[in-house]
Amino acid sequence: MRKISLQVYDFANGLRIMAHFWLRIEELNRSIPIRAIVDTGSPITLIGTIDITKMRISSLKLKNLEGRNKPVNIGGGQITTKIFEGTKLNFGGNFEINMPVNFPINGNNNPFQPSLLGIDFLLKSNATLYFNASKKEAYLEIADEEKKIIEESLK
Amino acid sequence: MEQQTLQKFQRDSEWFHSNIKNLQDEGFIGKFVAIKNSKPIASNKDINLVLEELDRKGEDPSLLFIEFVHPREFTLIL
Repeated sequence: MRKISLQVYDFANGLRIMAHFWLRIEELNRSIPIRAIVDTGSPITLIGTIDITKMRISSLKLKNLEGRNKPVNIGGGQITTKIFEGTKLNFGGNFEINMPVNFPINGNNNPFQPSLLGIDFLLKSNATLYFNASKKEAYLEIADEEKKIIEESLK
Repeated sequence: MEQQTLQKFQRDSEWFHSNIKNLQDEGFIGKFVAIKNSKPIASNKDINLVLEELDRKGEDPSLLFIEFVHPREFTLIL
């Protein structure tokens, strides 16, 4: 069992669970550090507006790259995302995972949209999220791959 | 290299969130702020101008912690 420390910060009038990781996007040939809000209300992992701007990737370039497009409802509006399948998330050398990550390409008029680590990450990594709001403590426990394979074979 | 950069980024993120009230009091409300070594090194209402300022200072914006300073009463619902 591996343990990944998360941070609990006050942000925009609320306690948020935050994860810091290294994001590597093969399709864009880019690699950057990310701070994402762990959002169990989001089914997808989404890269936020500030992070995309920092990478200096235009929405036109994103649209023209290969990858699936997907409509996503967020904050009461609908946006379109481009999904990059070959994206790696590395948590301080402690844990790395390859998973699809969504990049907004249309309809995202919120310049403050933060990056989100969604339920898809928890499922893909077989992670359990622990959160104690009053102590401002949070962490992920990730089952070892071997154990995951055994458990899946017993289903 | 990547791990060191991630650690620095995380320390600057920690500093930003711990000092958000000071940043709000010091006139950063409504601005994007870039943090390096626990200090704001560039800020502007337009994030593209923050990136330009970082370029002039020889910094790589993609490796720095940049966040928007919301007003005190602003509540973000995801």
